Amino acid sequence: MDNEAIQIKEIANKLRLDVVRMVHLAGDGHPGPALSIADIVATLYYKVMNIDPKNPDWSERDRLILSKGHACPIIYAALARKGYFSTKILPSLRKLGSILQGHPDMIKTPGIDMTSGSLGNGISIASGMVAASRVTGYDYNVYVITGDGELQEGVVWEAAMSAAHFNLGKLIVFVDNNGFQSGGAIKDINSTIIPVLEKWKAFGWHCQEIDGHNINQILAAIEKAKAETKQPSVIVAKTIKGKGLPFMENDNSWHKRTPTEDELNMAIKVFGGVANE
Amino acid sequence: MSKKQSNTRRAVMDALLKLASNDPAISVVCADSLKSMRAGEFAEKYPDRLFDVGICEQNAVDFGAGLAASGLKPYVATYAGFLTMRACEQMRTFVAYPKLNVKFIGANGGIYGGEREGVTHQFFEDLGIVRSIPGITVVVPADGREVYQATKALAQIDGPAYLRVGSDREPFIFEDEIDFELGKIRVMRDYGDDVVVFATGSILYRALKAVDMLYEEEGIKAKVVEVHTLKPLDEKNITSILRKTGAAVTVEDHNIIGGLGSAISETSTSNYPVPIVRIGLQDIFPESGEAEQLLDKYNMAITDIKDGVKKAIALK
Repeated sequence: MDNEAIQIKEIANKLRLDVVRMVHLAGDGHPGPALSIADIVATLYYKVMNIDPKNPDWSERDRLILSKGHACPIIYAALARKGYFSTKILPSLRKLGSILQGHPDMIKTPGIDMTSGSLGNGISIASGMVAASRVTGYDYNVYVITGDGELQEGVVWEAAMSAAHFNLGKLIVFVDNNGFQSGGAIKDINSTIIPVLEKWKAFGWHCQEIDGHNINQILAAIEKAKAETKQPSVIVAKTIKGKGLPFMENDNSWHKRTPTEDELNMAIKVFGGVANE
Repeated sequence: MSKKQSNTRRAVMDALLKLASNDPAISVVCADSLKSMRAGEFAEKYPDRLFDVGICEQNAVDFGAGLAASGLKPYVATYAGFLTMRACEQMRTFVAYPKLNVKFIGANGGIYGGEREGVTHQFFEDLGIVRSIPGITVVVPADGREVYQATKALAQIDGPAYLRVGSDREPFIFEDEIDFELGKIRVMRDYGDDVVVFATGSILYRALKAVDMLYEEEGIKAKVVEVHTLKPLDEKNITSILRKTGAAVTVEDHNIIGGLGSAISETSTSNYPVPIVRIGLQDIFPESGEAEQLLDKYNMAITDIKDGVKKAIALK
């Protein structure tokens, strides 16, 4: 890895530790699905996206919709460390009165571009955002991070069709392809979505497949997607659910589970953080 | 009655064409409903602001949410039930919850609106559904002239709203220009304080006929009040009328559960309890048929309204 990739990776791991700590303190949440997208989230917020934390509603900003809204602690951590709000707010996740809801709320949280959490809707909403830019004349990209299990929702394919029909080239979708959904392995629950990439090809999208934990691959894929101005782009990112923590990786019980004090301490050791941050 | 004014569906687009000429953010989202929503002229004049996403209502509503979140003022226009039932969650979670400025135009409201198409295209649950979602303004105009004014009035508010229209074949009720004040009731007849008949939507014409006949034939002194805005409800003025009459009838082309009858009952119970007779579809599925015959068969005949008025008075 070059220096830039190393720096992004360090940020990603910092965000991972934030997630474990937040979910531990909240006593509830989805650490596994958040850790699998940490590298994509860090790359987008810290390198790629044209954003201004002091002006979260800036009309010309790039936008991101976390369609798999349950992974939001990783976005909250990224936004806080970016300066959208104080990192001191992070421990209030899921608590009464907090700006950090259990799933993203665009009104309560600065930097959240769209409310989400009900699966399947992000790509469709992002399509509207890209379509709007053609009327307003603002030049921005709209990124979506969707789960792979989430692709079982019908509205995903409604959006896949219309986004391709409208030639929404500014739409860039990451599929977090970790192979699991809430109830287990995708191959055991509704396996027809596998192989994922072929479906998007059939719907006329610009398609790439990468290692979702390789920063250079993430960066290169985004560059290629941005260069494609006609077709909407999908980047199927092969990821590991719970990536970074040996006790969590590929163990789907961590889809929704609260890390204990010991597990938090293990995470602190792995990611090199400090206990009282 | 004047026939020059466009009817309900076309009147929405007449208003939007006018609004769009002054506001570059006004846009329309269709779900293969461009023709049925009379949006052809809008598409010709403003092709860059007309998005027909195809036969996919969930996508249409989400797409509208995305437009609104990025500075446009979209009107998502298709059949009432496909919006409020198939895309109900999208209306709730991605428009109402984030308070986005998306307006919904629901066609074929009521069994009159769906008439010969049958139950799949007759929508009589929409008002109950949207009324139970926080933050959506709900408007049910009575004819094309009122639709035009209501559409313009809704454009003035920043936030989600649902406007119910019918088949485009409704009778005209209002002559010439009318005022339209969002959230305010409209007193249409005032023979006296025996009872009040609240009506919403195009079936208002039947309420007016029934009350006129009761006065002329039997000397019953009723009021007819149009409730075009179901949410926010004009609770203050409704309560003050209930205090005068002590009994009420509600008339709507909707299931008697969830719509105007429920709204008036709720406000009466909280503010000034009186006996209320609810005229509407009696919680059953109707069928295909000619519009007027359908209303007659399914408890919305003028005789049903007259009987309802007498019953309400007897309950005082």
